[in-house]
Amino acid sequence: MSFKILFLDELKGFYKSKIMIILWIGMPTLSILMHYLIPSTEGFPVSSLVAILISYISGMLSSAMISTSIANEKNNHVYDLFLIRPVKRYNILLSKFCAVYLCLIIATVISLAMGLIIDILTIGVPSQYFLEETFKSLTISFSSMAISCSIGTFFGVSISSIAAAAILSVYVGSQVSAIATLPVLFIESLNSVLIALLVAIPLTFTFLIISIVLFSKKQF
Amino acid sequence: MSHLNSSKPLIEFRNIVKSYKNILVLNNVSFSLNQGDIFGYIGPNGAGKSTTIKIMVGLIRDFSGTLLINGKNIKSSYLELFKNLGYHPQEAGFHRWKTVYQALRTFGKLSKLENRFLDSRIVEVLEFVNLKEVMNRKIIHLSGGMLQKLRLAQALLGEPEILVLDEPLTGLDPASRYQIKNLIKKLANSGKTILFSSHILSDVQDIATKIGILNLGNLVKIGSPSELQSEYHIGNRIQIEFDNDIDILDQLQNLNYIEQSENKSANVIVVSLKVEADLDESIHDLLQYLIENKYKLRRFNLLTPSLEDVYLKLVQGENNEF
Repeated sequence: MSFKILFLDELKGFYKSKIMIILWIGMPTLSILMHYLIPSTEGFPVSSLVAILISYISGMLSSAMISTSIANEKNNHVYDLFLIRPVKRYNILLSKFCAVYLCLIIATVISLAMGLIIDILTIGVPSQYFLEETFKSLTISFSSMAISCSIGTFFGVSISSIAAAAILSVYVGSQVSAIATLPVLFIESLNSVLIALLVAIPLTFTFLIISIVLFSKKQF
Repeated sequence: MSHLNSSKPLIEFRNIVKSYKNILVLNNVSFSLNQGDIFGYIGPNGAGKSTTIKIMVGLIRDFSGTLLINGKNIKSSYLELFKNLGYHPQEAGFHRWKTVYQALRTFGKLSKLENRFLDSRIVEVLEFVNLKEVMNRKIIHLSGGMLQKLRLAQALLGEPEILVLDEPLTGLDPASRYQIKNLIKKLANSGKTILFSSHILSDVQDIATKIGILNLGNLVKIGSPSELQSEYHIGNRIQIEFDNDIDILDQLQNLNYIEQSENKSANVIVVSLKVEADLDESIHDLLQYLIENKYKLRRFNLLTPSLEDVYLKLVQGENNEF
């Protein structure tokens, strides 16, 4: 029950936040701009490029967003008023993680839809192969974003300085989330979707569990 | 709270000890409060007031000793006891993007208040703290005084019988302080049990029916304001202002009911009467002495020992002085 209340609350807060406005408006705009800025994609669908780009930018933004949000709320004693009520501590973190992740997924889907529309208008309906590639890129993007969000959660909980939490989560987040994409770059025969999921799921859960344990022990 | 057991104290702290990394913050703190008590918890910064309060509201659960609320151990009954506790934190923040109404609605839902009564209850508490006119204003646009009232409003939302207020008057302008003080008095009159901390002694003296003085983690004294004042009787003092500059200290020292006298300025002296001296008789004799010796008086004031005197004596070990 408290998860649902907190999740809807966080969702309301995030979808109106400045960073999310950048993602809501900026990323779809980027999809359109890419078509005009990089006309020499020679038949390579804009949607695939958008998916790759989003994976990188959203990953960084999401980890910074979640870590600064937690560190800031922790420093400003926002959680004190939640914790004196029948609220489980892990629900506070999970609701924030899920809200940010859902916002990113929606922003990514919108951007990708824009890319697909441009593709259809310019090069016609993309082939089955390109759609499959786009789907793969999307799965890898979501996997990287999940890792980045969980790393952002970890640094938000464990570091008090907002600037340090943001820098570390962006740096470590981008490095660690690359693990989801690296293996397929070196070994072509690997199933990129499977590898991304196999890396992302345990890593995300591990960082989230560590964050929850640290948060539960935290003295407010 | 119909289930209250009136024969037992409502709140009992028994030998509470809390340390942070080998630093003792609370050392065997024990006291009890009955229903309707307004307990003023005073002490210098870092004395352990906020730690005591955080233990009471469940924000700190790692402590030794026993804390009973209505006979139930808080460690095993957190969820049940939360319902009867309202907490006003010293510096809690809110989600600044929310409106006052939205923030209270979230707290109400998290406290599991019934949805059908929640809106009317929000309006009720906002009216009580005089914030109704800003209920749709974003929290980021509230003043410090309004934020303090909002903290009080969220504490009152669940109609708790026990209110724990951590420095509710700190950092407020005089008008806001006056308003919040009146709200606390109103709550006290409605039968709530209130524990509040402050380092502003005059505020505690104004509101509290019971006072605990905490110093370096030790509860050095507990009692009603009048009990503390009489137990730590420092002796009444009289401030005398003369028309012109005067040198009278040596003569006054010869009077047997005077403990000490000192110059506050060239024409103002403060006389401390001996503890055993009868106040009325001493005033009469002193006035007579001054008139007989033709001193021209401008003002003659009795300075009643205040809580500040008691506090200074206990906490700083210093003689009071005005």
